[in-house]
Amino acid sequence: MVNKLILSNLLHRPIRTAVSMLAVAIEVGMVMLVVGLTHGMLNDSAKRVEGVGADVLVQPPGSSFLLAFGSAPVPVKVGDRLAERPHVQAVAPVLTAFNSANLSLIFGINMDSFDKVTGGFVYHSGGPLKSPTDVLVDDVYAKAHQVKVGDKVDLLAHRFYVAGIVEHGKGSRLFIPMATAEDLLGVEDKASIFFVKCTDPGYADDVIANFKKFLPTYDVKSIKDYMSLMTSNNLPAMDTFNGVMVGLAAVIGFMVIFLSMYTTITERTREIGILKSLGASKGYIIAVILREASVLAAVGILAGYVGATASQRALRVVFPSLTIQLTVSWAFYAGLLAVAGSLLGAFYPAFRAAQLDPVDALAYE
Amino acid sequence: MEPIISTNSLRKVYRVGKVDVSALRGVDLLVQEGEFVAVVGPSGCGKSTLLHVLGGLTSPTSGKVLVDGNDFLAMTDADRTRFRRHKIGFVFQRYNLLPTLTARDNIAIAQHIQGNGFNPHRFESIAGMLGIQEKLNHRPFALSGGEQQRVAIARAVICEPKILLADEPTGNLDTENSQVVLTMLRELNRTFRQTILMITHNPEAAAVADRTIRMRDGRIVSD
Repeated sequence: MVNKLILSNLLHRPIRTAVSMLAVAIEVGMVMLVVGLTHGMLNDSAKRVEGVGADVLVQPPGSSFLLAFGSAPVPVKVGDRLAERPHVQAVAPVLTAFNSANLSLIFGINMDSFDKVTGGFVYHSGGPLKSPTDVLVDDVYAKAHQVKVGDKVDLLAHRFYVAGIVEHGKGSRLFIPMATAEDLLGVEDKASIFFVKCTDPGYADDVIANFKKFLPTYDVKSIKDYMSLMTSNNLPAMDTFNGVMVGLAAVIGFMVIFLSMYTTITERTREIGILKSLGASKGYIIAVILREASVLAAVGILAGYVGATASQRALRVVFPSLTIQLTVSWAFYAGLLAVAGSLLGAFYPAFRAAQLDPVDALAYE
Repeated sequence: MEPIISTNSLRKVYRVGKVDVSALRGVDLLVQEGEFVAVVGPSGCGKSTLLHVLGGLTSPTSGKVLVDGNDFLAMTDADRTRFRRHKIGFVFQRYNLLPTLTARDNIAIAQHIQGNGFNPHRFESIAGMLGIQEKLNHRPFALSGGEQQRVAIARAVICEPKILLADEPTGNLDTENSQVVLTMLRELNRTFRQTILMITHNPEAAAVADRTIRMRDGRIVSD
C-alpha cells in the first residue's frame, strides 16, 4: 500500500522525479568516473612500465617513482657498469622528457639496448627509429591523434616524423632516439632511468642487493616494488583530489534530494494532514518520505551505473589514451554515498512533515 | 451505560501570533453510543474545534474529555494518534481524498495505517452499501463531489471506528448529493449503531440527526 502511494506520488510529478533521479545519477557517475580516471591513468602508467619487461629499475638519487618527474639524469656509463654485474642479461638506459604541450612522457632510447630488455617492439606499421627526427608512437597515441607513418608530430618544440606505430605497453607512448633527446634537453650521454633485465627473474633480489652495494645512493627497486608504489595512497594529492570530487558529488546529491523532498512536503502538506487524520504516526510519515527518497536514490544509482559505463565507452572512443577504470568496489561506494546522501537530504523534510499540526495541515491550500 | 463521549468544562485556547483566542469556553457534552448528534451554530462558534478535540487532532487546553473511556487531557499526541487510528473516523467538507490514489486505495490506506491488514469482506460490504463499486478504480479527479464524499465515508468507516466525526459533510454538495450522503450516514447509524457527531450549517441536514446541539461563542447554548 505504501509502495503504491510512493509510486503514485513520484509519477504525479514526473519532471521533479526525473530531475532528482538525474542528480543522483550524476553524483554516482561523477564519483565512479573521477575515481576511475585517476586510478585508471595511474594503473595504465604502471602497467606500461611493467610492460617494458625489466626486472629491476635503477634511478638517480632523489628520483620520483613518477617517471615524468625524474631528477637530474646521470651518465649512461652507469648502465655499462650495471650490465657487468652478475645475473644481469641486459640494461636499457632511457632519457625521459615531459612534453608539456600535450602532457605526454617521451622515452629517449637506444633501439638496440631497449629491444634487448623489452624483446623488441611489435610494429603495427612502419619500422624502427633510423633518423634523428624519427619518432615511434604506440597504437593508442596514433588512434587518439589520428597519426599514421610519415605524419608530422611536434614534440618538445621540435618536428618529428612518425617512423612506426607500435603495440602499446612498453613504458611510454612516444619514443625518440636517445641522441635527439640529449640534444633537446641539452645533456650528453645521460640517462634518467635504467631498465634492467635479469638472466632469470628469480635473481632480481640478488641483483638489487648487488646494485645497492655498488650504487648506494641510487634508487634501486624491483618491478614488483615499483608496481606497489603506483597507488593513490602514495600520491596524497591524488587522494585529496578524489576526496574533494567525491565530497562535491555527495553534496550535490544531498542538496538536490533535500530541495526536492522539501518542495514535495510543502506541496503535499494537506495530504500529510489527511494521513495524520487517519491515524498515521510521525514514524509512518517519516518512513513514507524516506522510502520515497530511497526509490529516487535507487533508480538514480542504477542510472548512474549505466551512465558511467556509457561515458567510459564513449570517452574511450573519443580519447583512446584516457584510461578509466570502473570497479565494483567504487560502484558500491558511490551507491552507498548516494543512498546516505539521499536519506540525509530527505530526513529534515521528513521530520518537518511529521511535526506538522494536523489541523493546520488539513486547512493548507 | 457510560456515554461514549463526555466533556466537562472543555476549553481550547489557540495562540494566534501574540493573541490568545478562546475557541471553546467550557463545553459540557454527553453523547451515548449509537447516537446521531448534529452540532449547529454560526461560523466561528467553535464547532470544528470541538470536532478536532474529540477526534484527537488537537489537545484540549483544560477540562475533562473522555472518549470511549480515554482521558484526552492525559494523553500525548502519540497516544491520541494511536487512539484515532483505531477508534475515530473522519469525514470532511472537502472530502480530503489522496489525489494520487484510486478510490479503492484511498479506502484501503485507512486499513493499512490501522495495521490490521486488508479486509476484503468488510471492504466489499461498505463499497456495496455506499454504491461505489463501479468507481473504485477511479482517482478523485474523475469522481463527482457526491462520489468523492461517499468514498470518504467508506474510508472513515472501513476500520469500524467507535465514533464517526463529520465536519460539514454536505457543505460542498448540491441538494441531491447532500441527500444521498445524509441517507448514507443515517443508514450507518441505524444499521451498525454507528455513533455519529456531525457539524452542519444546514438545518435540513441537522434534522436527519437524533439530536441537535446549538453552539455560540465557544459554548453550547441549547441541546
